[in-house]
Amino acid sequence: MNDEQLILYYYADGLSKTERRRIEAALAADPALQSRYDALRRELDGFGDASADAPAAPEHLVARWQAGIDRAAQLERQTERGPARVLHLASFGWGAAITGALALGIGIGVYLPSRNVPDVSVTPLPAIVEVAPSATTGDAFTRGLQAHFRESRENIGGLAVEDSEARRLLILHIVQQNRLFARAATENQSPELSRVLRAFEPILVRLADEDLAPEEAQRLQAQLLFELNVMLTKMNRPPSDRSESI
Amino acid sequence: MSTVFERGGVPTQADFHAAISHRANCWYTACLRITRSQELAEDAVQDALLNAWHKRRQYTHDAQLETWIHRIAINSALQLMRQQKPNRFTPLDGDYRDESASAETRQINAEFATRLDRACAHLSEMERICFTLKHLEEWRLKEIADELDASVDAVKQAVFRAVMKLRTRMTGLERSES
Repeated sequence: MNDEQLILYYYADGLSKTERRRIEAALAADPALQSRYDALRRELDGFGDASADAPAAPEHLVARWQAGIDRAAQLERQTERGPARVLHLASFGWGAAITGALALGIGIGVYLPSRNVPDVSVTPLPAIVEVAPSATTGDAFTRGLQAHFRESRENIGGLAVEDSEARRLLILHIVQQNRLFARAATENQSPELSRVLRAFEPILVRLADEDLAPEEAQRLQAQLLFELNVMLTKMNRPPSDRSESI
Repeated sequence: MSTVFERGGVPTQADFHAAISHRANCWYTACLRITRSQELAEDAVQDALLNAWHKRRQYTHDAQLETWIHRIAINSALQLMRQQKPNRFTPLDGDYRDESASAETRQINAEFATRLDRACAHLSEMERICFTLKHLEEWRLKEIADELDASVDAVKQAVFRAVMKLRTRMTGLERSES
């Protein structure tokens, strides 16, 4: 009887009933084999016991996960309340996040007091307006973030919402990129910017859902385009027009 | 306060908050064991929570909400690893990385657990994932094979090799530390 068979016997999975009965008979008939199996079982049990002592997830992560659920729930409530209030409330949500970013010196805002909000429930998706990179915009991180927003905007703008698999793959790619910038922002001592970037995730993940109705996908697509346009517009303002620089 | 598992119905925002408070450590640890990356583990839990939230009407009360999310988190961790490197789960022996210097993965206090963790760093990725899913997450071999797009025999071999390596490493560590 080899160890592989005893290991599979321990896991109670991967052996046929006949094989199990054969091993049981062998264990009953051979005390040396039984003691070898007991030693193996003690070791394997020990592996499980050791793993029960889980390291704690850092508090900021737990807070982020809680906030992610709150944002997703808020997004859903906005949808349920109907199109007239959707953008109003969405702007409030983004605005709250961005206000924090501005106040703490990030330099990116979402809320534009005099913007024309497209009614995404009745109008086509907003046209993409090219926002040229500003020569005055700061460092490599800022330029990279602008490029990320522009690329995301173009990709989302060209998204075929009916193709759920293509939509899912594209959005997951954008989520990954977004997370890289969020982490870079954290490392750059810009936690508020990181939070703003992560605030995109509930919408993005929702848009990646394969079960999403095309109408809902189109609405989220429009919302993302709108928010990305606002971010880019804000970032391309001369530094004097911003509260802070990134 | 009753849980959604006890009272039935669709899990609420408060249910998710409670689940996170009670079990986030467990989800994070499970994802960390699979990915051996704090960032991927963090993202896996985030993805799992958002996916679970969006699909919460599909929660069938066959298990606790926490358990349901745990399973989604494991799948998210595996998916993220696949995205990082599509042919990730090739059963090679020498593709381990020793990340023992990472601070947060060193938070396991028990001496034995630390040794086990250290020993796991010497497993190949396929071995580590198969061992984690089989031994710690108690998945069936067939489930693991399906998830990893591998044969059941390949999974059996990976689990077997992992156990043998861990036994050898753990015994060796005990000897060297005694």
